[in-house]
Amino acid sequence: MHLNTEELIDIAEGARPESAAPHLAACEPCRAQLADLRAMMSAAKDVSVPEPSPLFWDHLSSRVREAVATEAVPRRSWLDVARWSRGVLDPMLAVAAVGLLLAVIIPGMRAPAPAFPPAPVGVAIPPPTVVADAVVAPELLKDVTDDASLTLVASLTDGVDLDIAREAGLAPRGSAEHAVTHMSDVELRELGRLLKEELARSGA
Amino acid sequence: MPAADTRPLDVLDEPRLVEACLAQRAGAFDLIVERHRRAVYQLCYRFVGNHEDASDLSQDVFLRAYRGLRSFRGQSTLATWLYRIGVNVCLNRVSAKTTLGKLTEPIEEKQFVDLRAESPSEALLKEERAARVRAAVARLPRKQRATLILRTYHEMSHQEIADALGSSVGAVKANFFHALGNLKKLLGTDEI
Repeated sequence: MHLNTEELIDIAEGARPESAAPHLAACEPCRAQLADLRAMMSAAKDVSVPEPSPLFWDHLSSRVREAVATEAVPRRSWLDVARWSRGVLDPMLAVAAVGLLLAVIIPGMRAPAPAFPPAPVGVAIPPPTVVADAVVAPELLKDVTDDASLTLVASLTDGVDLDIAREAGLAPRGSAEHAVTHMSDVELRELGRLLKEELARSGA
Repeated sequence: MPAADTRPLDVLDEPRLVEACLAQRAGAFDLIVERHRRAVYQLCYRFVGNHEDASDLSQDVFLRAYRGLRSFRGQSTLATWLYRIGVNVCLNRVSAKTTLGKLTEPIEEKQFVDLRAESPSEALLKEERAARVRAAVARLPRKQRATLILRTYHEMSHQEIADALGSSVGAVKANFFHALGNLKKLLGTDEI
């Protein structure tokens, strides 16, 4: 079998001795290919770049200096900007999402139960949907997911950690967002239970 | 935070020199440019084959380097880091039109052909051969060209080239192999 490209390059560059490829001694095409590679490497190596005018180097430095002067300070890379955006915008979006959800849920808890007509006998009420530790009625979720703006917020904040929002200090002390983001797991479960009770009492 | 290094710029090692740039110390970036401008220019020239474009690309390389100084971690030499930027600038900017349109600079425009060491006719023949090779290199497919330039003229390892081009060592060796094969074909058929 003939030598492959990697073997030929390694031998041509001297990274591998010819003796490591006994095939070479018996294969004229491989030897010819190796000779061509070495000849081209040598031909390329011998070629220098024409030296520009000695004045060019200072001219290039001046051009770079002028261009850099308009930059003021080394700019943040796009990666830095992206990281910054993740650190600041995500918590903001998380807070916005929590606020919107609370705005939808809490008024429903405090307002007197609307006098809906009783459900017709025989119509099955779908069971509540469990989301994390909280329990939310499917009708409520339907309203939320039908709302284009809420859907947008939900998609933007998907995967956002509320701890990040808390650390960013974007939920001011005393606000509902602050209260929610500072709850322990036990408190969050209790909140879920209370929401479930309130939703059941309102007939949702 | 460590205290700023107040030693003269020219005794600072590369990471310290970069820190001095980031601290807006006067002359720090000028020194980086001064140390590397020739190598960066030569890299660009080998890509495009003419002085005008090489000059513009060199400026662009240094400007991008300045913008990206914060990302220099000192894991490679500053030269290797600049070559990596240079290759990307050249790969992005070099169009077929630029390359084919300008790579055959008239030999009379080339300055400072050293005529002292050999006879004028020998020197001119040598320069003509060199011009042919440069033109052939500048006509190689872009990744083959990048690989050949970095390997042959800037002595970067296969791994460093792979990192710069976002490919594997195997792909780099294959590109180098094909670059040399195409160079032979171009030199065998071209009459410049």
